[in-house]
Amino acid sequence: MVVTTPEALSPPDRGIRWFLSNQTSWSRAVLASGIAVLVFYIVGVISVLTSFGWSGTCPEGVTRLECSPSDPLAEGLKSDGLGLVARIALVVGLLIIAAAVASWRRMPNKSAREAVISGGVLAVQAVALAGFLLWFRGTDIDRFARNFLNISLIGQKTGIAWDTVSGSMGSVAGLMATWAAVTAALVGVYAWLRKAGLRLVVYSTLIAAGAGLLWGLIRLASVPSFVKGAQNTLVLSAAGAALGFSLGLLLAVFAMSNRAVVRAPARIYINFFRGTPLIWQIMFAGVGFVPALRLDLDMYTIAILVLGLNLAAYSSEVYRAGIQSLERGQIEASRTLGLSYFQSMRYVIVPQAIRRVIPPLLNEFVILIKDTSLVSVLGLTVAQKELLGIGRDIYSSSFDATAWLGAAAGYLIITLPMIGVVTIVERRLRSGLTSVIG
Amino acid sequence: MNEDGTLVRLEGIHKWFDTLHVLRGIDQKIVPQEVVVLIGPSGSGKSTLLRTINVLEEPTEGKVFFDGMDLTDIRTNLNEARTHMGMVFQQFNLFPHLTATENITLALIKVLKLSKQEALERAHSQLRHVGLSDKTDSYPSQLSGGQQQRVAIARSLAMRPKLMLFDEVTSALDPELVGEVLNVMQELAAEGMTMVVVTHEMGFAREVGTRLLFMDEGIIVEEGDPTHVLTNPEHARTQSFLSQVL
Repeated sequence: MVVTTPEALSPPDRGIRWFLSNQTSWSRAVLASGIAVLVFYIVGVISVLTSFGWSGTCPEGVTRLECSPSDPLAEGLKSDGLGLVARIALVVGLLIIAAAVASWRRMPNKSAREAVISGGVLAVQAVALAGFLLWFRGTDIDRFARNFLNISLIGQKTGIAWDTVSGSMGSVAGLMATWAAVTAALVGVYAWLRKAGLRLVVYSTLIAAGAGLLWGLIRLASVPSFVKGAQNTLVLSAAGAALGFSLGLLLAVFAMSNRAVVRAPARIYINFFRGTPLIWQIMFAGVGFVPALRLDLDMYTIAILVLGLNLAAYSSEVYRAGIQSLERGQIEASRTLGLSYFQSMRYVIVPQAIRRVIPPLLNEFVILIKDTSLVSVLGLTVAQKELLGIGRDIYSSSFDATAWLGAAAGYLIITLPMIGVVTIVERRLRSGLTSVIG
Repeated sequence: MNEDGTLVRLEGIHKWFDTLHVLRGIDQKIVPQEVVVLIGPSGSGKSTLLRTINVLEEPTEGKVFFDGMDLTDIRTNLNEARTHMGMVFQQFNLFPHLTATENITLALIKVLKLSKQEALERAHSQLRHVGLSDKTDSYPSQLSGGQQQRVAIARSLAMRPKLMLFDEVTSALDPELVGEVLNVMQELAAEGMTMVVVTHEMGFAREVGTRLLFMDEGIIVEEGDPTHVLTNPEHARTQSFLSQVL
């Protein structure tokens, strides 16, 4: 018998179209209702609140007990319209949940079952949100809104006067052009030397131009403001990271030495900085150590040094894990070729380990960004304060707790893109590409 | 060469891993152009013995002489000595972040201090030698096991070593890829390279080996002409081992 190999076929469609074509009319209805009730709730809440207004203006000289910019928002939250939206979402959501619970096992295929379950879960989310809102309406909304929901405060305290920004656009554009040109030149030379693609140059130049734009705007901000606070948060974490990541690699190499006399100091350092709270380290350096020794360091420098020294201890453990995760055969092959221990580290081990430790190091960096908030225990000047310090100052002067929300928004604007970068890098490394760029 | 005309001389080698006595007194001489084949059951110490020759494993007791140098003397420059001894591993141990060419040129440039041009020429001619001139810019992950192992051999040969050590280099390969690696080793032996080969390939041992050592429990139980030992083993332990693998 002659066996012929069947022709290789392209894989069957298992995407969204296939998913939808497998639905029964019931499963389609449950999924659609689940989506509908959640969308109805979100759109309903936003439209009702918008119809009342998110913030308003008060006459000059009126105390916050009599009038607050948050009053329209409080009115919206208390309104009957919002109550109706929440009750409809609650009742409809509960009905969908009941339907989904009763029917998910009887669906004829996996796509239909997943659709029913998803519809039910979306309804649970709508019910939870609506239930929370109904409970929240039962509290003292006026007082809460005046303390926490004065959104106009955040706008006032960003520090950038948007109506006068156009006059300073020249300096912003200049900064953008400088950053882009320097990056293009540096990366261009690198790409030419390493014969890397043009794409790398284009991407990094665009990123540099974007960063230049942001930095230009940040420089326009007045003091004190959230944008200035974000700038200090960025400077503290970037400088701390530069110090911490480089010192950490050195520490990791020491901590892995075969010689106990080299290993011991590194371990003592690492364990001290990992074993004491960062806030204690900052206070001890700023309030005890540096003044007692009469060192001529300002608080900002002390903050950067302590953040960097602390990060070095944590990142050295990350480096060590990365280096030790490489197969023993790599260093053996390298030593067999006559490379010395340090040459093997430099050319064989560290280049491979760096790729493995980039995601955990980026995580350490995100942690560092948030830990910069601890330097607020030092007596920083107004111009040196980072986001949390700014938030606290604004709260102290205005007695308006919305300032804390502004600080939180600032941290999220910085950390969310970083977390996104971590996710992308992890996915690229996992997909089998050995290199992060290119 | 050592003063007695040998390339490698092992004197009273003992090795302990913690309390485990792995090598229990080995004395051996290897002269240039010999192809010494080391066989034996797993755990018999053959890989450890191979690795003491280039001091990847430092013998607990005993001396290793190579090419007139006492490698167990702390004052000997081991890095320099190792440039004259190639070693190929079971797991290839290519550097995954470097291309086939870069794997070869790394030590040529950083250790032998060749110019980049010289190193490239040597790498390419060495890759041609092992039949991989079309894979110069491939990364190890893009190569089959047999191709990776041939790059690893080329990487060692590019150093122009006086001795090649092979540690079960075909054990991690699919059966269909074993032949291409053994062919390269056979050619190398024919060109007069001195080799020490730890292997389970009895056919290779018989055809290419000039001397066979059978190891068990840390000592060399029997040695001699490969064909002779494989067909007429004298020692009972050799007989029982060969009856299981042949």
